Amino acid sequence: MSEEKNIFTQELLDRCISCGYCLPACPTYEITKDEASSPRGRINIMRAVQKNELTLFESLEQSSYCLGCRACEVVCPAGVEYGLMLEEWRDAAWQGKNRPLIVKLLLFAANRRVFVRLMGLFNLRNYKKSKQQSVSLMLGCFERGLFPGVSKSSLKVFDQVSSNPAQGCCGALHAHNGELERGQELARELGDQLPGTILTTSGGCAAHLSSVLGKDRVKEVSQYFFENEMLDSLNEITKNGKKIKIGLQDSCHLRNGLGIFKEPREILKRIGEYQEVPGAAECCGAAGSYALVRPKDSKEIVSKKISEISKLELDYLVTVNPGCQRQMQTSIKKGPKVIHIVELIEMSLQSKGSK
Amino acid sequence: MIEELKALLGPEKVKADSVSLEAYSTDATPEFQGMPDAVVFAESTEDVVKIINFANEKNVPLIARGAGSNLCAATVPISGGIVLALSKMNKIIEISKSEMLAVVQPAVNTLELDNEVAKLSLMYPPDPGSRNVSTIGGNISTCAGGLRGLKYGVTRNYVLGLEIVLGTGEVIRTGGRLVKDVAGYDLTRLFVGSEGTLGVITEAIVALRPRPLFSRYGVAYFDSLENSALAVEQIVASGILPATLEFLDNVCINSVEDYANLGLNREAGALLLFGDDGDEHTAESNTSQMAKICEVTKGNLSVVRAKDVVEADALLEARRCSLPSLARLKSLSILEDISVSRPMLPTAVRRIDEIAKKYNLVIGTFGHAGDGNLHPTIVVDKNEPKEVEAAHLALGEIFNLAIELGGTITGEHGVGAAKLPYLEARLGKTQMEVLRRVKKTFDPNGILNPGKLGS
Repeated sequence: MSEEKNIFTQELLDRCISCGYCLPACPTYEITKDEASSPRGRINIMRAVQKNELTLFESLEQSSYCLGCRACEVVCPAGVEYGLMLEEWRDAAWQGKNRPLIVKLLLFAANRRVFVRLMGLFNLRNYKKSKQQSVSLMLGCFERGLFPGVSKSSLKVFDQVSSNPAQGCCGALHAHNGELERGQELARELGDQLPGTILTTSGGCAAHLSSVLGKDRVKEVSQYFFENEMLDSLNEITKNGKKIKIGLQDSCHLRNGLGIFKEPREILKRIGEYQEVPGAAECCGAAGSYALVRPKDSKEIVSKKISEISKLELDYLVTVNPGCQRQMQTSIKKGPKVIHIVELIEMSLQSKGSK
Repeated sequence: MIEELKALLGPEKVKADSVSLEAYSTDATPEFQGMPDAVVFAESTEDVVKIINFANEKNVPLIARGAGSNLCAATVPISGGIVLALSKMNKIIEISKSEMLAVVQPAVNTLELDNEVAKLSLMYPPDPGSRNVSTIGGNISTCAGGLRGLKYGVTRNYVLGLEIVLGTGEVIRTGGRLVKDVAGYDLTRLFVGSEGTLGVITEAIVALRPRPLFSRYGVAYFDSLENSALAVEQIVASGILPATLEFLDNVCINSVEDYANLGLNREAGALLLFGDDGDEHTAESNTSQMAKICEVTKGNLSVVRAKDVVEADALLEARRCSLPSLARLKSLSILEDISVSRPMLPTAVRRIDEIAKKYNLVIGTFGHAGDGNLHPTIVVDKNEPKEVEAAHLALGEIFNLAIELGGTITGEHGVGAAKLPYLEARLGKTQMEVLRRVKKTFDPNGILNPGKLGS
């Protein structure tokens, strides 16, 4: 008998009864129709690794091909916490030379607060101090550099919210890329840096921060807007005399991890003519750093979505996570403008349209 | 062998790395595992013919697999060999509204087929609990049942014709698009439930029905499963053949409630989910008639009608999730599938309860009360060898009980490797021998799914 390893929490592995209900929900199974690329198959691979019947190295490809979208968790009747197991898997498998180079670079940057701050340097005007310290805006490490307008809009929409430019990364990137402990440590550090409720414009960060700091301390921006009963402040936005047509791409971790998907839809219904994008709940292939690590697979995942979106003639495609925003912006060549929900909320508040 | 397979089919259709083999070493059945030597992905009937000819040449086992959601280890490669994954043959070829039939490839998903035909106001009635993952080919190979068995029958009632690659590599088409056809032995029926031991199904023609426009549901609570079974008998005796008559015992009620939070009565000994479909009047009057019968049955605690479709769907979904919900209780759950005639139901559930007490085990029983099909599920800690052993002893007694009551050891899950040791008790020596002869006719070299039916 081979000796058992202690890579996975055994209770997490034991939860899965192999019923296979997760197969139809998995984007990589949908493409490959290969059991090894399904959640159930991956859990069996994890079990074999734990029992020393497979090496971590052998399991590397599947640990990386998985998007980590956690769509399998929502449909799992046995309550398997797949996301946690995936983090444990990558934590053990993605060490040393087995970690993709691009991930090394990303983690290197996000590990150091000075780099994270640098990413936001060009947009110093974003930052303000509020007298009240009850709600702090999380600026997001890569979002600061890629989409500075998102934080700017957040501060305009929520005037009570303060932001501290000295904040670091929330650690989601680390937790999803084989640095579980460091990811949790960074989340706790961020919790110390940002007093009170932490407001975030990123579904992925919201899910990670909540898992470490608790759901009460973390609010995603559409959730916060909705829970604070701000819906009535929204105005319709019109274009050529007609309500704008809006679609949404869910954030996997926001939807599958935190169960937030009604909130952004309720907001969008007030702003324009909301249209459900077929497969909005399915991963867009951004999947954190996935689009950078596995660009070809990422494109394959998003391509079906793009053709669905093109049929709808939307004015705006709304995202609730910077990774998805980048993915959709770079993938949609011709079609709706891709925009973060808080930017559209800001536009709506300024609009003179009817309520 | 791997290189030859790759040369035969193309390298992208063959996998033999350790990770792929691991992934295909199990299905949804606990405690069964067997390492295949290779996994091949067929994309056409021609592929299947090539693979079967190859397996005959090399004399290696060949195990056809759809979604691997069966519960009898029918797709576990217990003696190694080649797993034939049909998952890529998943196209709906045709839906004919005027003939009320569909022509499908074997790996078409059961729920997807029903959703597609629903667009034409049609229904594919068999609805096994695993229909969101299961395939039509797998359903046919195990003669899957479901929640509507009493009124609509099971998979066998909807298979009109098949294209099959036999164990010899020959391709035959049985049946067809016809309602009536008695030309020859009914080979279509023979292949239903044959568990991949005689041939590989590469195409199926299935019958459809008009989709009922209305459905009504209700829930009745009883002090015991035995008394809920009495209500079931009364209902059918009153002349109603309802679409749904499902029951759950107290253990199941609580585990489902933990999972689904529907506000079920956790104190009750049994829950009976009843309902019917059809035109509005029939669905309504049958359902209220059932509610009335439940109210006057011994041990009834309360009867509640589902307010709307959403509530009814939630109840049905909860019932479908009985097994996974039970599985949350302990690390190993062994699910059984006995079936008895309806009048024997009260006795069966009482005796299962006694077996649970005798071995000091948690047994949650749910099932298709309307058709007498029971799923007693034993949940144990897999790291407690004594508990596991007791579970297997209890299982043996449950099988014996079913046979003693004139029932069967499996109603809808199949025999596979899991129940083959108990099959002779049900069929007797002579019939077992006939099964072997039948298998030899279709698969003379015994390459198809050895160690299962016909072995």
